Amino acid sequence: MSRLDNWVDYWSDLTRAEQGVTGSIALFAAVLLVGLVTGGLNPTYFLFLVGLAGMYALMSLGLNSQWGFSGLINFSVAAFFGIGAYGAALMTSDSAPILGGFDPILGLVVALSLAAVMAVLIGVPTLRLRADYLAIASLGLAEVVRLLVLNERQWTNGSGGVRGIPRFFDGWPVLSTFPQAMPGLEIVIILGSPIELGTPFYQMLLNISLVAIFVGASYLVLRRAHRSPWGRVLRTIRSDEDLARALGKNTYSFKMQSFVLGSVIMALAGVFYAHLNLFVSPGDLNPITTFYVWVAVILGGSGSNRGALFGGIVVVTIREGTRFLNEFAWIPFDTAPLRLLMIGVLIVLVMKFRPQGILPPQRELIWPDAIEGSETEPERHTNQQPGGDTNE
Amino acid sequence: MSVLELVANGLIFSSILVLGSIGLSLIYSIANFANFAHGDTMTVGAYSALVTFGAVGGLGGSVLGLPYGFFVALLVGAAMAAVVAIVTEKVVYESLDIGSIGLLITSIGIAFIYRGLIQIGFGADFTRFDIVALRPIEWLIPYGIRVTHHDVAIVISAAVLVGGLHVLLQYTDLGRKMRAMADNPDLARISGIRTKRITLWTWVIGAGLAGAGGVFLGLFNQLAPRMGFNLLLLIFAAVILGGIGSIYGAMLGGFLIGMISQLTPVLEMVGIPIGIEYSNAIAFVIMVVVLLVRPTGIAGEAT
Repeated sequence: MSRLDNWVDYWSDLTRAEQGVTGSIALFAAVLLVGLVTGGLNPTYFLFLVGLAGMYALMSLGLNSQWGFSGLINFSVAAFFGIGAYGAALMTSDSAPILGGFDPILGLVVALSLAAVMAVLIGVPTLRLRADYLAIASLGLAEVVRLLVLNERQWTNGSGGVRGIPRFFDGWPVLSTFPQAMPGLEIVIILGSPIELGTPFYQMLLNISLVAIFVGASYLVLRRAHRSPWGRVLRTIRSDEDLARALGKNTYSFKMQSFVLGSVIMALAGVFYAHLNLFVSPGDLNPITTFYVWVAVILGGSGSNRGALFGGIVVVTIREGTRFLNEFAWIPFDTAPLRLLMIGVLIVLVMKFRPQGILPPQRELIWPDAIEGSETEPERHTNQQPGGDTNE
Repeated sequence: MSVLELVANGLIFSSILVLGSIGLSLIYSIANFANFAHGDTMTVGAYSALVTFGAVGGLGGSVLGLPYGFFVALLVGAAMAAVVAIVTEKVVYESLDIGSIGLLITSIGIAFIYRGLIQIGFGADFTRFDIVALRPIEWLIPYGIRVTHHDVAIVISAAVLVGGLHVLLQYTDLGRKMRAMADNPDLARISGIRTKRITLWTWVIGAGLAGAGGVFLGLFNQLAPRMGFNLLLLIFAAVILGGIGSIYGAMLGGFLIGMISQLTPVLEMVGIPIGIEYSNAIAFVIMVVVLLVRPTGIAGEAT
């Protein structure tokens, strides 16, 4: 009984937006579950979608740490994603034009270092610029990166792309043979439409755990970083850069650190993509990816990490959901432009009716015990900061 | 390809870029945000002209190899781009109070809506105006220049439009008000200028020129739903090189960026191994360098 009361309390503590989001996630999950049980949704494909959602969530987390926390308008998300993907692909693939055949872990390290170096290279000229100039300049430099990947055939194999990328866990002791070792299952819940769980399913399950680790680690690192004194300086820069300078902070250096951190997380999404798709091509650096990620972040709420996660799921739903529409014959046109249209309408609606996003940051920037402390012992406000660190 | 021909091509491409950059610069200075939907406004103009030209046909005679009907289509294309921009301003931008960055992000959404609708209506494939391709002008071939009468028509039409804009800005009441507003919107407002009306006129002129530029781009290359968006970054490069807010700077920037992007093969002729595939990349790098060294551009005043 008391457990139920806890839930009721928890529910009424949420804002209306949070209640709405929780409700629609529950509804969405129920629809997916029905799809899975009735066999309308292939479990392997479903896990693939979860992997894509995790990938977008990673990029959204990265962009959120740049735009949401430091106010940097980075329109080169696709370039960093591509660097991560190509870095991993060129290091690990056995048919890569250069390098190739290394362990995926080494590929991960090299791809992330490459992204960090490129973030510094792009950041040095652009981070001093005014906000809207930064947007244009970063979009331009992302195009330069895409053109390099497309045209430097001797390194990247050009428009042919890179094939033969191993799975991330190939060569690991137990995990490399895990999908083959697992028994093929056939679950019959509704007669006539059995659910088959074979080797591809278990392979996808491994991929999902990989992206879950990536997302979880990034989320924890970012949450810790943004609650730290370092994160507070970034938020000050976002709201008033002159103030941060007046307080003696080297804002350029802080912005650079935030830019590099976010870009490395975007590259992490690229590394995962290379090992999920097993094929990368210059098309993956298309600027549309950048705008998908932007939609995820502004929809979720700038500066809100859980908003970024939520936005990532919504974007994948739009991206993949419109593919299903092609199966309906009564729609007289290809549904690819519909995706573009929906993304556009979504951007305009969010900016018009809820520019702060659906899940704007609430308590996540504050230590939890700081909130509790202030509620129970308000007098502590007067002489010391509850839970905060005073030696900033 | 001779250098002279590259210069001729540069001139044609510059004419199209100039038409696009003037509008972007006008809107940047008066509506005060970077309009990422500007490239797709050009696409709107091009496709409106395509439909009109299909409906009215050639209308008898022709000038410079272009039937009269094409010029009707050109006017309709420019007008449609202006109408679409006005509707967008009235329905979306005007009611938003979210600062220039918010407007910038919104305009990306608007760009996707334009492009999505065009792609739904016309498909993603390339199309062409139903005009017979011409042979290069005979007497220029000995000089190594292969241009058609269509190309000449593009350059002349663009020059007429730009000249008209110059007269409008310098010698009419509306032009003076627009320049006043670009200079200082608050001051213009307290001097009794109806700034909202001027903003609307800015959209009409900027989008109209962009629409015309889109039609010419369709004539010069082909029509595709992505044509405008692909050109957008080059237009930004032109506007930034010229100096944001300076209309004459935008003309100069459009001319220079158009020339540079078409003259890229000269680099290989003089032994620098940068191929034609990097012509856009060169323009973008120039843009970033200008932003760093002289953010006010060539013609911009220090602010």
